[in-house]
Amino acid sequence: MSTQSTTAAQTRLSSRAEFEAYRERAEQRWASLWNGNQTVVSVGIGSCSVAKGALDVLAACETALQGQAGIVRQVSCDGACWMEPWIEVKRPDQPPVIYGNLSPDEIPDVLAGRLEERAIGVRAEKPLGAILPLVSHPFFKHQQRIVLANVGVIDPDSIEDAIARGAYSAYLKVLFDLSGEEAIAELTASNLRGRGGAGFPAGIKWESGRKAKARPKFVVCNSHEGEPNVYKDRRIHEGDPHRILEGILIACIACGAERGYNYIGGEYPLAIKRFRRAVQDAERLGLIGKDVLGSGKNVAFRVRTGGGAYICGEGSALMYSIMGVRGQPRTKPPRSVEEGIWKRPTVANNTETLANVPDIILKGGEWYAGIGTEKSKGTKLMTIQGPLKTMGLVEVPMGITLRTLIDEVWGGMRDGHQFKGIQTGGVSAGPLKEEHLDLPVDFDSLTEVGGMLGSGGFAVFDQHVCAVDYARYLTAFNRYESCSKCVPCRLGNPALVEILDRIRLGRGSESDLPLMDRTSKHIVELSLCGLGQVAPAPLLGMMKMYPEEFRAHIVDGVCPSGVCPISSDEVVLAAGD
Amino acid sequence: MAHTAEAGIDLAVVRELMSHFKPQDHQEAQELILSALQEINEHFGYVSLEAAEIVAEHLDTTVNRIYGLLTFYADFRTEPRGRHFMLLCHGMSCYVMGSQQLVQDLKDRYGVGDGDTTPDGELTVQVVNGCLGVCDRAPIVKLDDSFYGDLTPDTLNDVIQRAIAARRATEDTDVNPINDRRSNPA
Ligand SMILES: Cc1cc2nc3c(=O)[nH]c(=O)nc-3n(C[C@H](O)[C@H](O)[C@H](O)COP(=O)(O)O)c2cc1C
Ligand code: SF4
Ligand code: FES
Ligand code: FES
Repeated sequence: MSTQSTTAAQTRLSSRAEFEAYRERAEQRWASLWNGNQTVVSVGIGSCSVAKGALDVLAACETALQGQAGIVRQVSCDGACWMEPWIEVKRPDQPPVIYGNLSPDEIPDVLAGRLEERAIGVRAEKPLGAILPLVSHPFFKHQQRIVLANVGVIDPDSIEDAIARGAYSAYLKVLFDLSGEEAIAELTASNLRGRGGAGFPAGIKWESGRKAKARPKFVVCNSHEGEPNVYKDRRIHEGDPHRILEGILIACIACGAERGYNYIGGEYPLAIKRFRRAVQDAERLGLIGKDVLGSGKNVAFRVRTGGGAYICGEGSALMYSIMGVRGQPRTKPPRSVEEGIWKRPTVANNTETLANVPDIILKGGEWYAGIGTEKSKGTKLMTIQGPLKTMGLVEVPMGITLRTLIDEVWGGMRDGHQFKGIQTGGVSAGPLKEEHLDLPVDFDSLTEVGGMLGSGGFAVFDQHVCAVDYARYLTAFNRYESCSKCVPCRLGNPALVEILDRIRLGRGSESDLPLMDRTSKHIVELSLCGLGQVAPAPLLGMMKMYPEEFRAHIVDGVCPSGVCPISSDEVVLAAGD
Repeated sequence: MAHTAEAGIDLAVVRELMSHFKPQDHQEAQELILSALQEINEHFGYVSLEAAEIVAEHLDTTVNRIYGLLTFYADFRTEPRGRHFMLLCHGMSCYVMGSQQLVQDLKDRYGVGDGDTTPDGELTVQVVNGCLGVCDRAPIVKLDDSFYGDLTPDTLNDVIQRAIAARRATEDTDVNPINDRRSNPA
């Protein structure tokens, strides 16, 4: 057995032709990996699978193949939490087969083909014996992978793998073939909208960045992901860091920015490690630096990491954090594209937004605009939380319904759990109920009924969750994460939590309901930044969807779900304490 | 990795860590303050006043600015950790699957809440507002370097007691540390 060595990128490439020759060699190497006479075992190693023992599985694969013609390689997790730890086995003359939910002691049998019942699917159009194509599995069937195309496929630590699969080809195009205007025109034609929550058109933002006069200019990728309801951006980092880096570098060239940044949440050590590695390798190959590939263009790069403050995901707070001060938002205007990092024009986009860019540049804005719905183009990464069967991260076209997602993609409710609602938009919107499940998931449809696509993280909850207590949890999150800069948010959110606690303890009165409405209105209208402006939304949504539960606490003195400490005299903690 | 109260912070190590931060100018120095503090926090489990002073001097800023950062960003501690360090996920999957009961039980059984250390110095708890990314096994904790999922108050207590016992045993016999990431039960 040979453990695949990731050939470090040693040589600095100084022209387009040199890059193309490098890519050709990488493609050949990639092709020969799969056509050879050896078994290739790929193990999904992500922070999620490591938590479930994937490193033991990796070690077991290495041991099992010792002395045989075989290669063990590391890929990242593929989004399918429910099948971790998993491996992919490519035997000579057979398409690759995925096996899931493995323990290390099963590996010898799996590799010897004695545990075929653990196969999840085969990467082929047709079945392999009794093993069905992976794409026919409900979790994969509805997916269309652009951002995740290489995730779980390439070794994320290998720039050679990434380049063999097309990385930096779009960058090359922007360096040599397209002007900044032309590149941005593709983005505008694609109608790509920001994936960080607000859905602002990326093309318009880039155009303002390109036109900004002050120097130097910056591009920053927002990879903070501090919301309690989502885990998508860190998975792109763990699985295909070069795609993110390429998106940022393209933005730098198209907008004429001297330096790119990526601000990554500090809680994601593996994402940070793999992304730093990607930057190092790209620097060594000459894709970052002075006179990139002889194009005459310069671009520098810096990685910064966050410190566990949710508010640092807000654009201006993030930039203060990069500048080494407390991340507290400021009033706008000026917008960041006019005054951002070090008071210079700064274009800020979410990770997923930027990760869509390379394919848009390569295949054209029109191609991208052909995917999704009329006003929400392309695909969206979505994650699920709560008691469902096949949980994980998926990439699906915009417009898929919540019902398809819940019942098919994520496998439906686990036994003993009844669907009660689905919290959308994280801590910034309200829940939806059964009757909303046939709505298409896109930027606008959910908002009309009080939900929100947001960053694409959904949490399904069951009969064990109390609407009042959940509202308290969500409001307490915003209270805790308030940066304390402005009064309505700093004092208003604790006031809401106090009222909710009263109700949870069975000491609420009917006048508390309008009081929460009024207090919310203050917070929404007077707060300085997006955190405060939407902080009461989850509470208002819970009151709207489950009014009977609020009344039951207040009027009847009972918590229908049996969660709240009604009439308790003891000190009982609540979520967020 | 994380040092306990008895060990204190070896300032020579802090200086060594700082020597890798080589800002080109004052702007870059400011951009590096948080990274520098993160490295110290990661290495020692907290940032002491003396360590903060070294960072301030190295990156040409004031210790007061640093204190402002340490108290704003939730990942930093200014006090040493206990012998075991536990992140309790309170993200949304963990909440809907019952993490609140775990928080309550830790308070009832051990008297500790977010950021606290048990009086015997064994366990420090940090409640995480974000998501630790293992949602399908919620509610989960990360104790030292291992994850434990599908927890109830009783199984969590078991996990904690086993970790404490295993550590005591290794201190007597000097064998492998418990937080060997390859012996990962979750
Ligand atoms: C409190 C708060 C937290 C936010 N957190 C994030 C985040 O973690 N990641 C992100 O990309 N955007 C976040 N945003 C949105 C950003 O302010 C900004 O709109 C976005 O990064 C722009 O990128 P996009 O246009 O590509 O979506 C947050 C906004 C607010 C108000
Ligand atoms: S609304 Fe809240 S988070 Fe935003 S600036 Fe005001 S206090 Fe800070
Ligand atoms: S499988 Fe890694 S995201 Fe869950
Ligand atoms: S919410 Fe706890 S692991 Fe995701």
